[in-house]
Amino acid sequence: MSGGAATAQVPPKVTARARRRRGAPKSFDRPRFLRVFAALVYLFLFAPILIVVLFSFNSQKSLTVMDGLSLQWYEAFLSDPVLRESLFASLQIATVTMVIGTILGTMLAIGLVRSRARWSPGLNILMLIPLVTPEIVAGISALLIFWQLGVKLSIFTVMLAHITFSISYVAIVVRGRLATMGSEAEEAAMDLGATRLGSVRLVLLPGLWPAIVAAGLLVFALSFDDFVLSFFTTGDDVQPLPVRVWSAIRFGVSPTINATGTLMMVVSLTTIALAVMLPRLFGRRESAIKVLTGQEGG
Amino acid sequence: MEIFDQRLNRRQTLQVGAGAVLAAYGLSACGSNDTRGEAKFVKPEIDGDLLIFNWAEYMDPLLKKSFSEKYGVEVNEVNFDNLEGMVIKLRQGGGPYDLIFPSGEYVSRLKLEGLLATFDRDSIPNSKGVNPYYDSPWYDEDSNHSMPYTYYTTGICWRNDLVTDMTGSWNDLTNPAGDGRMFILDDFQEAIGEANLLNGFELNTEDPDQIEQSKETLLEQKEFARGFSTNTVQNLATGAALIQQAWNGDVVNTRNQVSNPEDFSYETCKEGIPVGSDTMAIPNNARSPGTALLFINWILDPENAAQNVAWHGYPQPVEGGEQEFQKLVKEEPSIAVSIEELRDKELEFVFETPEGRQLWAETFVEVKAA
Amino acid sequence: MAGGFWTRFLAAPGLWLLCLFALPLTLTLAMSFGYVDEFGRAAYDSPFAPGALDNYADAFDPIYLPSLVRSVTYALGTTALCLAIGYPIAYYIARFGGRRKYLLIGLLVLPFFVNYLVRTYAWVALLSDEGLVNNALIDLGVTSQGIQMINTPWAVIGGLTYGYLVFMILPVFAALERMDPAVIEAGKDLYGNKLQTFLHVTLPQTRQGILAGSVLVFLPSVGDFVSATLLGGPNTFMVGNLIQDQFFAANNWPFGAALTVIMMIFLTIWMIGYLRAAAREARPAL
Repeated sequence: MSGGAATAQVPPKVTARARRRRGAPKSFDRPRFLRVFAALVYLFLFAPILIVVLFSFNSQKSLTVMDGLSLQWYEAFLSDPVLRESLFASLQIATVTMVIGTILGTMLAIGLVRSRARWSPGLNILMLIPLVTPEIVAGISALLIFWQLGVKLSIFTVMLAHITFSISYVAIVVRGRLATMGSEAEEAAMDLGATRLGSVRLVLLPGLWPAIVAAGLLVFALSFDDFVLSFFTTGDDVQPLPVRVWSAIRFGVSPTINATGTLMMVVSLTTIALAVMLPRLFGRRESAIKVLTGQEGG
Repeated sequence: MEIFDQRLNRRQTLQVGAGAVLAAYGLSACGSNDTRGEAKFVKPEIDGDLLIFNWAEYMDPLLKKSFSEKYGVEVNEVNFDNLEGMVIKLRQGGGPYDLIFPSGEYVSRLKLEGLLATFDRDSIPNSKGVNPYYDSPWYDEDSNHSMPYTYYTTGICWRNDLVTDMTGSWNDLTNPAGDGRMFILDDFQEAIGEANLLNGFELNTEDPDQIEQSKETLLEQKEFARGFSTNTVQNLATGAALIQQAWNGDVVNTRNQVSNPEDFSYETCKEGIPVGSDTMAIPNNARSPGTALLFINWILDPENAAQNVAWHGYPQPVEGGEQEFQKLVKEEPSIAVSIEELRDKELEFVFETPEGRQLWAETFVEVKAA
Repeated sequence: MAGGFWTRFLAAPGLWLLCLFALPLTLTLAMSFGYVDEFGRAAYDSPFAPGALDNYADAFDPIYLPSLVRSVTYALGTTALCLAIGYPIAYYIARFGGRRKYLLIGLLVLPFFVNYLVRTYAWVALLSDEGLVNNALIDLGVTSQGIQMINTPWAVIGGLTYGYLVFMILPVFAALERMDPAVIEAGKDLYGNKLQTFLHVTLPQTRQGILAGSVLVFLPSVGDFVSATLLGGPNTFMVGNLIQDQFFAANNWPFGAALTVIMMIFLTIWMIGYLRAAAREARPAL
């Protein structure tokens, strides 16, 4: 009772303090250095990215002197059929990964929470390992299995590798949501005559939908940006965009890379923006960022 | 354990002489895309759009454009970062590409594997302007699998305004004036080759003791290095490199790009320098081999050759190309390379055995890892 | 009956993970006992055959050992830096972010959805000899010659920190979020000063988050080869570079596989250490 009262009191105190610039005599005034520090961290994180974007519009080839605005590096990107093809390949890979990864990951999450199978805890561990395996290990293992089976490397093999890690991502996010939902509503639906599968469709999936959409889009962005797994599993005929960027960077810095990088940013940040916005449209109050990130720490 | 039994049964089709690197990729080529068999004979005629597989920044893009306009086909280009990677992809049935740019040694390997198409060089008129050395080069005696693109030397480029006491030896890589500002080419043949020459070994030695010694040499040189890099033009132009092991054409290119070309010198080392030719060849599985052959003719055209040489900085052994290169190197004669030097096969990279290639490749990784 | 229905959901994803994750890992392990035959091709061998462990012995050969040690050192340095940067910022936002807390955290997360290569490439452009940072330093008169920043171990560690900082911030933030502000109030009354309160109350309560963050940063850092390739110099070769070269340059797949297994074992030990520590932490809290 008293503990609850104390908690309830705190938020107004914090906001009140936030309004005053100078801190209260004792307790947590905002240490000035922390604010400066925070500003520096934001600068550290954003400055390089902004510079990539800025110089993608440079009218000359320099990467140090801004001379005027131009779209020539975007033209260079768009008029290069190989880069266009790679962009298209990356979008294809990310889309297929999103669809299949989300379906399998959601099934896995539901199964893990509800199933009483003896081997389900083992599967739980198997699901977690891909998340903590360095990409290079996953990439080499995938390369070896394709080689062993005589599968020719192509964007198809890249998709297979991407789906594998995305299953785990989706399962984690969806399971977090599932854990907060009881099974009473489903039982009620079945009492009203719904089949078990029907109750999944009518009750379970609508409840999970925000998490599924957010996870799917997250996986899309991760797959679109992935380099290491793609690098080890891609064939040669059509390569994903990050693999092309890699060879380009190794030949040196060029403004076309800035334009390519900026376009890639637009794709992934749009996806992430959707991942944040869409679940809200489902009428959920809680922040989608919480849905996406709160799980990672827990 | 079944995986232990599977072993090599599906890989036996691989050619011994060529199967060295990433044979595994070859496996998938055997399984899915048979690139071997009779070499295709190609006539110069438009038979589709062109896909070129080349080093980056190695051809004037305007030449692709003008060809495209003249013949009404699309010309696209994909780049590779090393020859070995290119071969792996060819074996895998990659692309399929219509035109590739292997070095002489790689032509001989690819030919042996049956990966190259044949053609009659007289069917393209501009072959008449090609230097007679290429009537019968060692890697392609009948000159019916390849046409020469460029030829090159490997030496040392250095900043004469900031570095003194260069001695014209591979030892100059460890000149204290370049300490921390020196680059060794990130190419296992060039790196080990240079150390072999410095130690007085034959360029292509496969003797493990000698290679071991050359490894030690490279480790000493590494103390002075800023990195291993084939990104010569950028290293030199940005000032990161004071001393750089370099291909001569890249030096020309650098001098074209900077405001102070007179400060960049090139030396051909007295212990000997590797020389070689890059060629144009048509893979057996090309989709538009006829267009590719027409494009080879286009590149050998005297005017086009001159334009191309001015752009990439390497000499082309064809009328127009040679003259343009002489103009480019007038002020720095050391960059020049004569066809005569190519006749001395001692100074071209060749591997006698796959084990030798493996030894070289592994040794270079050891140097980098140490 | 009910269990059977739900178990069916596990079949497809379970099979997928078995075939495309567990099996490939096993294959890597099998390959690590293999050898390169006389034609330079990778061949399997039984783990009990003589010489099957040669690849493992090679990995600890003096010529390769520095790469292994270097990778661990860089990864530890990265973890320390991420903690030094990530904790204060997470703390600042959790404590003083107010209503904009999630917006502020979202902004921190945003850069990590920009392709890692592009982000690292940005640092190449910034740090190179004639890059923006050196130009600025020269303009400001700090130095006349420019300072070599790229091609150094510091650049590599910096690149890794930039790459993986988010993995530290999020768990620490989550841990700080879980704390009851009342506990801090109480701690303040008990210890009187802010530093003491932080050391005795906040820090211990967020140790879970720190541990999780450290593991999440350390794991990818150890296996990274992008940062060392783009920002490193001649002496920054990491185990990731070595593995990559065994597969694509030196053509010694079995040795590359052995290095991969060694890395995996090392990381597993690290993980188990974390899980045990986490379990220890969780117990008194319950």
